[in-house]
Amino acid sequence: MGPNHKITISDATLRDGNHAVGHQLSAEHIAAYCKAADNAGVAIVEVGHGNGLGASSLQLGESKTPDHIALEIARKNLKKSRLGVHVIPGFATIERDLKPALELGVDVVRVASHCSEADICERHISFSRSRGVEVWGCLMMSHMISPALLLEQARKMESYGAEGVVFMDSAGHYLPDDVRQRVALLENNLSIAVGFHAHNNLGLAIANSMAAAESGAILLDGCARGFGAGAGNTQLEVLVAVLERLGYSTGIDLYKILDAADLAEQILMKEIPSIKSVSVVSGMAGVFSGFLKPVTRIAKEFNVNPRDIFFELGRRKIVAGQEDIILEVAKELAMRAAKGNP
Amino acid sequence: MKPQCQERTRHDCLRILKGRDKALEPLRQSELVVVGGTGFVGTWIAEMVAALNEDFRFGIKLSLMSRSTDQFSNRLPHLAGRKDFNLIKSDVRQLGQFPMNADWVIHAAANPDVRTHASNPVDTASVIVDGTMSVMRTAERLSHLKKILYLSSGLVCGPQPASTKGLDESAHGAPAPNASFMYPNAKRFAETICSAARMQSRIPVLVARPFSFVGPYQSLDTPWAQTTFLSDALQDHPIRVLGDGQVVRSYLYGSDAAYWFLRILTAGQSGDVVNVGSPVGVTLQALAEEVAKNFDPSPEIMFNTSPKSAGPSAQLLPDTTHAQNDYGLAVFTPFDEAIKLTAQWHQMMRNNHARV
Repeated sequence: MGPNHKITISDATLRDGNHAVGHQLSAEHIAAYCKAADNAGVAIVEVGHGNGLGASSLQLGESKTPDHIALEIARKNLKKSRLGVHVIPGFATIERDLKPALELGVDVVRVASHCSEADICERHISFSRSRGVEVWGCLMMSHMISPALLLEQARKMESYGAEGVVFMDSAGHYLPDDVRQRVALLENNLSIAVGFHAHNNLGLAIANSMAAAESGAILLDGCARGFGAGAGNTQLEVLVAVLERLGYSTGIDLYKILDAADLAEQILMKEIPSIKSVSVVSGMAGVFSGFLKPVTRIAKEFNVNPRDIFFELGRRKIVAGQEDIILEVAKELAMRAAKGNP
Repeated sequence: MKPQCQERTRHDCLRILKGRDKALEPLRQSELVVVGGTGFVGTWIAEMVAALNEDFRFGIKLSLMSRSTDQFSNRLPHLAGRKDFNLIKSDVRQLGQFPMNADWVIHAAANPDVRTHASNPVDTASVIVDGTMSVMRTAERLSHLKKILYLSSGLVCGPQPASTKGLDESAHGAPAPNASFMYPNAKRFAETICSAARMQSRIPVLVARPFSFVGPYQSLDTPWAQTTFLSDALQDHPIRVLGDGQVVRSYLYGSDAAYWFLRILTAGQSGDVVNVGSPVGVTLQALAEEVAKNFDPSPEIMFNTSPKSAGPSAQLLPDTTHAQNDYGLAVFTPFDEAIKLTAQWHQMMRNNHARV
């Protein structure tokens, strides 16, 4: 692949960004941002609960806008951009969630699992593929396994019928060389495309995305103003600008994506994501960025240092969906502190 | 199954057998067992035997052994209900015994679904390796056994070197020794088991190495290029090609393959290894275009996910010189005809937009 190949941008503002506002994006938000992204020429616009289709729940947070309404509105407002959904088997079932979503006109299905659990994606990938939509496999928290094991899991996604594999730096833990090594390995051993999804805990989301592109990834994720879980994602408009400077083609109009980002800041965000000190710690500890809010809240409640919680969660290799462990860890830290044994 | 589909598959068999039935004379009045007999290959062999018995009075007794005999009976009552056919429900790893008077055995038991290989590599290996061990041990008790044909895989020699036009039977490569390549590694080891059984127990066994096939009875649910393209077209979806479409494969039609297997079984020498497939390579783009031609309206062809170009190992073709020169075999159904017949059969099964 040439140094300046075409990069497909998948915009996760209305999905990963939902994490940042407790999944409270409204129908109006979705309509307005979809129009702006579509106008800018974004290839794929992902919409939904932060954890994807069917994930609205007490434990993970209830969506303000139910899946079917969010998708209907997005579909109505996306003329050129393709509509994407994030699907984690277990949260999303085929009959209850995926089938209706496809009937509402979803174009791209991204079936995701924890990096070592690709097996759970088989049915969802096969089903989506049989319905003729574009299917990507996503391996979340990919820093938790070695590159060789990541390749093994990616091969499973390929064998199930995925047309590409996105590996996700869900904790914002990677350095550029980590990304280069993984993209090169996947590129050389898979017959399908490779994509990358970054988080910005260590301030490296753009640098890591560039490392992915230079190594052959053809799909990059980004969010307007970095609107996403924890320290945020790759800042979309910056990503587009840097890619343009480096000579990659994205099909996105720079001025219009800058406008879309301005709009996102104005209407979607209570606060623009920034790298807070706990985000740095979560990146160092390799813990999912989406834990930032619950960890901060629970740390306050138990009067313990949130940084200690993150490092303990990292030691325990906790992943998304195990939010209840935060409470357990905070309690233990508080008890230890009470006994004078921090 | 719809009567017109049955007629079509019978016609496919008779077309191949015309003028070539004499080459299968050793099968006359004999008893044939196909282990793993209800899959794509087993079903086509059953169709071929039915044609030999009805139109050429061969009088073959056929036993199909499989875990899936119930599904086979439901799906294909025209074969399952025949008096000259016997369905035996059994797992290849625990065969117990073959029909006592079996003359010929074809061992085709393995799950070819790449999704199963990825999710259950240990079970994949068990079916292939333990299954082959079981076939060989069970065969030791057959007093009339003339030959066993083991259906291995064209993948056992690993990727095709860029310098060759096709893999011949003596290729020295091997698949990488890890779980992602469990299927070809297990098949490779199963070939070794066959060789050991021949050496140690004098079991007369030879090996066929199948490459890619196409035709009726191939499940469109499997994520192979030919099945995915057909499935896309049948559902009025665009045909989606991965990469730049320049990966090269070849396709042998189902009835051709069945004839090849029976011919190799009856004419082959114990210990021989023979590639089974078409040596005529086609790119995936050409495959997609050929599939599209057979639908009205023709589906759009999309190359929309990966611009990756086909690498040096993107070609996998058999060298079939041995099969041609020593067994008189050839591709009887050309590629375009094979795709047309397959598309029409599925269209007849579904009763939709046939360009027949």
